[in-house]
Amino acid sequence: MADRILEKTGSISKRELKSQMLDDMDIERERGITIKLNAVQIKYQYQNEEYYLHLIDTPGHVDFSYEVSRSLAACEGALLVVDATQGIEAQTLANLYLALDHNLKVIPVINKIDLPNANCDKVIKELENIGFSKQEIILTSAKTGAGIDELLESIVQLIPSPGGCKDAPLKALIFDSIYDPYRGVITSIRVVNGMVKVGDTIMMMETKATYDVVGLSIDTPKEKEVSSLSAGEVGYLYASIKSIDDVKVGDTITLKSNPSSIALPGYKEMKPMVYCGLYPIESSRFEDLREALEKLKLNDAALAFEPETSKALGFGFRCGFLGLLHMEIIEERIEREFNIELIATSPSVIYEVLLTDNHKIIVDAPNKMPDRSVVSKTYEPYVKTSIFSPKEYIGPIMELCQDRRGSFVNMDYLDEDRVTIYYEIPLSEVVYDFFDKLKSYTRGYASFDYEFIGYKESDLVKMDILLNGEIVDALSVIVHKDFAYSRGKVIVEKLKEMIPRQLFEVPIQAAIGAHIIARSNIKALRKNVLAKCYGGDVTRKKKLLEKQKAGKKRMKMVGSVEVPQEAFLSILSTNNKT
Amino acid sequence: MKNCYIHIPFCNHICSYCDFCKLLYCEELVNQYLVHLEKEIKEIYKGEVLETIYIGGGTPSCLTFNQLERLFHSLSILNKDKKIEYTIECNFESITEEKLKLFKKYGVNRLSFGLESIHSKNLKLLERKESRSQVKKIIHLCKFYDFYNINIDLMYAIPNESLAELKEDIDFVLSLDPTHISTYSLIIEPHTKLWIHHTRYIDEDLDSQMYQFICNRLKDSYTHYEISNFCKKGYESIHNLCYWKNKNYYGFGLGASSYIGNRRIHNTRSIHKYLDDQYILDYEKLKKSDIMSYEMILGLRLLKGVSKQEFRKKYHEDIDKVFSLDKLLSQNLVCDNGNIYIPIDKLYISNEILVNFLKE
Repeated sequence: MADRILEKTGSISKRELKSQMLDDMDIERERGITIKLNAVQIKYQYQNEEYYLHLIDTPGHVDFSYEVSRSLAACEGALLVVDATQGIEAQTLANLYLALDHNLKVIPVINKIDLPNANCDKVIKELENIGFSKQEIILTSAKTGAGIDELLESIVQLIPSPGGCKDAPLKALIFDSIYDPYRGVITSIRVVNGMVKVGDTIMMMETKATYDVVGLSIDTPKEKEVSSLSAGEVGYLYASIKSIDDVKVGDTITLKSNPSSIALPGYKEMKPMVYCGLYPIESSRFEDLREALEKLKLNDAALAFEPETSKALGFGFRCGFLGLLHMEIIEERIEREFNIELIATSPSVIYEVLLTDNHKIIVDAPNKMPDRSVVSKTYEPYVKTSIFSPKEYIGPIMELCQDRRGSFVNMDYLDEDRVTIYYEIPLSEVVYDFFDKLKSYTRGYASFDYEFIGYKESDLVKMDILLNGEIVDALSVIVHKDFAYSRGKVIVEKLKEMIPRQLFEVPIQAAIGAHIIARSNIKALRKNVLAKCYGGDVTRKKKLLEKQKAGKKRMKMVGSVEVPQEAFLSILSTNNKT
Repeated sequence: MKNCYIHIPFCNHICSYCDFCKLLYCEELVNQYLVHLEKEIKEIYKGEVLETIYIGGGTPSCLTFNQLERLFHSLSILNKDKKIEYTIECNFESITEEKLKLFKKYGVNRLSFGLESIHSKNLKLLERKESRSQVKKIIHLCKFYDFYNINIDLMYAIPNESLAELKEDIDFVLSLDPTHISTYSLIIEPHTKLWIHHTRYIDEDLDSQMYQFICNRLKDSYTHYEISNFCKKGYESIHNLCYWKNKNYYGFGLGASSYIGNRRIHNTRSIHKYLDDQYILDYEKLKKSDIMSYEMILGLRLLKGVSKQEFRKKYHEDIDKVFSLDKLLSQNLVCDNGNIYIPIDKLYISNEILVNFLKE
């Protein structure tokens, strides 16, 4: 969609257009998703008048909803894009409510109308059901270009021009920041009042830090240097800022000489929701991994990490993420962009533990869980999920949520076929494979969104996994006591599948404290032989052995047991149902 | 250079598991092939006195009497030691009295037969056809023509095979009283018919049980001398020992391999190229460290293992200096009695051990 708007407004020629123009990362193009928001200025001619439009392309996935809310704070209006083949999804609703909260003008758009399985009438009805009128809805095909002109006209007609006064003291919202190795931190700003020029001395209203503006630019989407940005404009500002930590997204920039008296409301800081351990397969690459995380952190304020040591895995980092997709993407970027093979331990949320001495501690890793004898109460984070689905899947969805310790809140019918089901579920149950399971329970028809609602008391225990009688710290998990037996059983069976036979029999046990609650055995290896080997085979057989040797190198020696990389994450998929 | 392999890549029928270099028999093609085979030998053979010649396939015995005569005639330029071991691979369908007499005439003194199984269910899966009576008749005939040194190939771990069936197969082989028995678990190689049909391996535990069973059953009357090979006293396959002892050998014919000096040479598997006299596909020049690796991964196939003394004589280095053996020795994965060898109970997992002899 963004691509087509750029092309239609002549911001970019067809020749220059590559797919997903605004998505810079390979991983974004590959997965067809947007991870980072991108702001671009578009010049648009309408009825002999020249208009400047600022488009911010945002991610849709729930993990990145904070990017959406930040962008909305910098805008006057929003395009609510609904896929003509999918209809309204949970995120559609979540993002719509966010936009309405910001008092934005929302233009509903149905896209992909060119696809043979597009069902415009149905989607129009759905949009009518959530309060839009049929006349407002614009039908487009970003692929063929249909409806894009009409869409641009509506933007000009319906979305108010930015207010603000050029002459008032400068007030600019920082809605994003990235790190550039040559220019330092580059902030994305929306000027609300006043004007900023190259050479001005600016001040961050919250941190009080001051800098001299080195450069200003806009994205068209080619970067274009400008000498000033004034009220209503969106662009980039750089000022030799060395560290991304010096810039708080949501802060307000003003001029040191003529400061504004009140800051913009900004937004609450995003805190990681999910933690996991990341370890290099080759222990010698620990420093490389640190460097990789530091580099990624420069452009990703939501990523947190600190060194961690595991008896089984050696030196690594405890890393915090916004959600599982965020985690997957970071892992993939480390493996691909930095060429470090990783072992990721099973993700954990942040628990709160009240000790018997009335002291409250935070537990972000299973191994930080104190002994049960000193624990008075345990609390875990809960989220309210809204699951949006055709009504025929209500049964399976409720079954899944029940399985995941959810408690039913209520249910809303959007129309006679579509329903939103609300559940309160422990976050830990959602970060595992909830989304995959939801998709398979509903043949891909359901979508979901969640918001953090707070901590609730819960009877939690640490479950250890023992391989060959030894606790493997990297495999420990925190589970609800009532579900420990079933979880333990599934985990040992899963590990039995994942860990290849070894030279000796290896017992796998799940234990709470000293109490073994589940057990299985990996049988001893009985056959690994090149049965025949004659003249013609010799080279080939040696190559086969070399392949086996390379395979072994990808495994981690845990005590005396060779454990494949995947086994550490495999304990995530706890449900055998498909 | 004392050993020579000749490949005859033709068969009357292609077995479902076979991944060797083979072609369906075609009279005209065979005639052409024999011409170029002779050319290749003449070009490469340096005139050494050979201690072993092994004609393998394919199915060499499926050639007609005249083609065989032509082949032997070409091979007569090879100089033979008095005590040469001269083997030809045969199947039971294609062997005739005339062919046996011809073998005799040209000095062949060892026959190797693929039997694989005598159970019709197994033979059907493998797409083979022997019958018990035919096998007995042919073996009798061989002995009548003074071929006493006979190898029988037996296959096990065939899908749906039971231990009882295997036992019957072994008893039948024993009733033939061969001097040599090779047994292999079925390998489902890529691009074979079995592979294309997604045939599954039998359970690993049963497979290993079958192997143990064979070893036990044969141990009284045969010497177990290599992972998959058993022989009566003094009847080791001298030719195959040359591979396992990492000795040089010529390999002539389509898809054959040679090991000459420090080069492992692979012939083309394309009949068109071969008939265009482009015999060689590629070769690999081995460094000393590679050669020592081969010495171990091949030599440890033998129950005797690798002699430390001979290793030193050959490479002027000590095995335990070249390879780190301590851990393997302490885990009883290899033993040392002057020879480094894999104990019999670990042979079936020998790959786990052999990977330690590959250089980093």
